[in-house]
Amino acid sequence: MSTLYKTGLEEGLLCCPHCNLISRLPEQKNTAPKTRAPNNRQPPSIICPRCDALLHTRIPHSLAKTTALVLAATFMYIPANILPIMNVTYLGSGQTDTIMGGIIHLFMEGMWPLALIVFVASIVVPLLKLLVMGGLLLSVKFGSCWRPAQRTHLFHITEFIGRWSMVDIFVLAILVALVQFGNIASVDAGLGALSFAAVVILTMFAAHTFDPRLIWDAMDKKNLHKQKDTTHG
Amino acid sequence: MQGEKHKHTQRVLRICHDCDLIQEIPPLKAGKTARCIRCHSILERHRTNSLDRSLALALTGIILFMLSNLFPLLSLKAGGVALDSTLLSSSIELFRIDRPLLSLLVFFTTILFPALSLAGMVYVLGSVKLGHNSQWIGPIFRFLRSTDVWGMLEVFLLAIIVAGVKLGDLAEIIPGISLYSFFALVIILALLSSTLDPDDVWQHQETTT
Repeated sequence: MSTLYKTGLEEGLLCCPHCNLISRLPEQKNTAPKTRAPNNRQPPSIICPRCDALLHTRIPHSLAKTTALVLAATFMYIPANILPIMNVTYLGSGQTDTIMGGIIHLFMEGMWPLALIVFVASIVVPLLKLLVMGGLLLSVKFGSCWRPAQRTHLFHITEFIGRWSMVDIFVLAILVALVQFGNIASVDAGLGALSFAAVVILTMFAAHTFDPRLIWDAMDKKNLHKQKDTTHG
Repeated sequence: MQGEKHKHTQRVLRICHDCDLIQEIPPLKAGKTARCIRCHSILERHRTNSLDRSLALALTGIILFMLSNLFPLLSLKAGGVALDSTLLSSSIELFRIDRPLLSLLVFFTTILFPALSLAGMVYVLGSVKLGHNSQWIGPIFRFLRSTDVWGMLEVFLLAIIVAGVKLGDLAEIIPGISLYSFFALVIILALLSSTLDPDDVWQHQETTT
């Protein structure tokens, strides 16, 4: 079965991620057809003849870049949850709200459907995203062959839902704009908001630099070994 | 259109973006989707009349976007004072209270990227429709497609609802005129991204260059 499957990398073909045009990599000397692009060298690249995009067989240094971004996001996740995201001043008395505090407030007021939405968007989604990206990075690093289709799917889900975490930042922005009654009531943004925004942006970039084809490279490598074994045996 | 005919009568070679598998896909009927045989990612979607519909939706989007920016989204009434908030005022107020980074982030995701995306889309689709060709169409369309995730108007709509509920017991919240056009805009943008067939634009590029 596996001989039927051919990847672009094996055939020296590149597909433009923007316009789907397939181009052929120029032949390179001294490269046996079965060797893959070594990790320490920049993978070969060409420019798409149709849309002028820079094409790579794999996103260069995808693992290193994504790991750095995920780690940075993980560090920012701590202040994002500890520091207050907003300071509400009402009739001279100040009150600070962390992300979780805001959710509890909503819940106490009986707005539990909204509390649930904000809880999922601001607590569950960023945490899941960090865990999923971390897991994917580890699985690629150790060449795991465990359910590649599901892992690819998981990656696309995290990529898609990540932006919804911005809802807390936008709520803050609207409250700051609306509640400006001088000494009576005002809302100010806290440091937690900046950290939280950093988590959302960093994880969005991490999803952008992660190359899902790396998940499948481990499978292809395994198939290649199998083929070798059968031809030798 | 010639490109359309060619595209949907022949088998075409595709390489999956997710797993790098080379495969041939048969001609697709309208509304059908081709998926990768190995990882089930979408290889191609055939949308009916994508160019005309997307152009119409993008033009509608521009009008709604301007309306949403002209009038207040929400008004707050407390102690005889009424305060209005527009789409732009969120980023302006954040800047005013010395949060420039947050202000820029909100400005980029709710004003700049949605505006660029709508204007760029009208330019690209309009050029393709009228048969103009320019070296800029390719790079602009590529930019629009890759910055698509940074326009977050639908997330902002959810934030408006949450903020409205939060303030509901403190003061009187009056929905502004823009709120309705903003709601329509979010729906139009969702429709736009589901009717757009990027291949139509790229095939036009191929035939003109």
